[in-house]
Amino acid sequence: MADANWSKHMADVLRRNGIRLFATVPDYIVTQVLEHLWSDSQCRVVTVCREEEGLGLLSGAFMAGRRGALIMQNSGLGNCVNTLGSLNVASQIPVVLVMSHRGDLGEFNPAQVPVGQAAKRILEALDIRSLMPRSIADLEAQADGLITLGYTRSLPVAFILPAELTGGKLG
Amino acid sequence: MSASVSRATATSLLAERLSSEVVVSNLGQATLELQRRAHRPLNCYTFGSMGQCSSIGLGIALARPDVRVICLDGDGSLLMNLGSLCTIATTAPRNYALLIWDNEVHQTTGGQPTATAARSSLAGIARGAGVEKALEVRTEDELRGAYDRLFAEDGPFVVAVKTEKGRAEGTLDRDVVGHTRSFIQALAALPPQPARR
Repeated sequence: MADANWSKHMADVLRRNGIRLFATVPDYIVTQVLEHLWSDSQCRVVTVCREEEGLGLLSGAFMAGRRGALIMQNSGLGNCVNTLGSLNVASQIPVVLVMSHRGDLGEFNPAQVPVGQAAKRILEALDIRSLMPRSIADLEAQADGLITLGYTRSLPVAFILPAELTGGKLG
Repeated sequence: MSASVSRATATSLLAERLSSEVVVSNLGQATLELQRRAHRPLNCYTFGSMGQCSSIGLGIALARPDVRVICLDGDGSLLMNLGSLCTIATTAPRNYALLIWDNEVHQTTGGQPTATAARSSLAGIARGAGVEKALEVRTEDELRGAYDRLFAEDGPFVVAVKTEKGRAEGTLDRDVVGHTRSFIQALAALPPQPARR
């Protein structure tokens, strides 16, 4: 049974690593994280029209000295592939990706399954390190390390948030 | 045939006015022309991620509201990311201007027509997205007038500059990581800019 506090832990991980600028195309699950960020006057959340637009925006902000995270569903990862490769990886511009994992355990929508099953391998194909924390304890044990690695490598890193952590979406 | 200006002239006329502005250039012709006519540390060249030039500039503008940011996009590229115009209108940074070198073709790939060669107007789309200062210019005089405004007034601006077809001369300097790092350093070293007006 997922612990409803997962979303505050996710938001806190990002904030304590100096991230105050967020771009998003929201979904049911990540909106729980966004609620914490929207209510924080120190944070700015820009809702973009398509996820890769958020990558461009956050990449510009990084070059201007601000860390950023892209909050989305894993379907948005599919929309981001070329920009992740030809901008972030090619130019060595780090960004933190936070995506709900649809299309895996408990999924009710067949259209979500192919990209959900491919998400981890898409990231691996681009040499983007990712974590799939299955509990708050998992998240707390590894999250700071992942973000540190991203800025050390100067490359994107990704959190894939599974239904075991978030409770998923129940139809 | 409607009037248009050369991309080289448009770039050079802009270069004459630059001091502490950031200029973000789109892959291909815009970056090549900017490298040839006005190479400077505060240029942010892009070499891939077609469509993202306007978004990259928007991120810089939001992160450094004290610095004027001017994006040099292409019609084919902006057509890939029209949602960016909505985000520009919604966030409405006063320090942001998007220029589009609109020659109505995919120049780098051989001159295939884009939607602006047929019926689509990027300035019209920008107005529909909610950008009030959305202009289309076709002559050198009109372009000078647009530059006068965007260096004097609050943005955001979107200016579709109807440009002549044809490739820029020379070859790109594609030190992608090197250019990115030097731009980051140059912008970090730029002290906070005084408020305009």
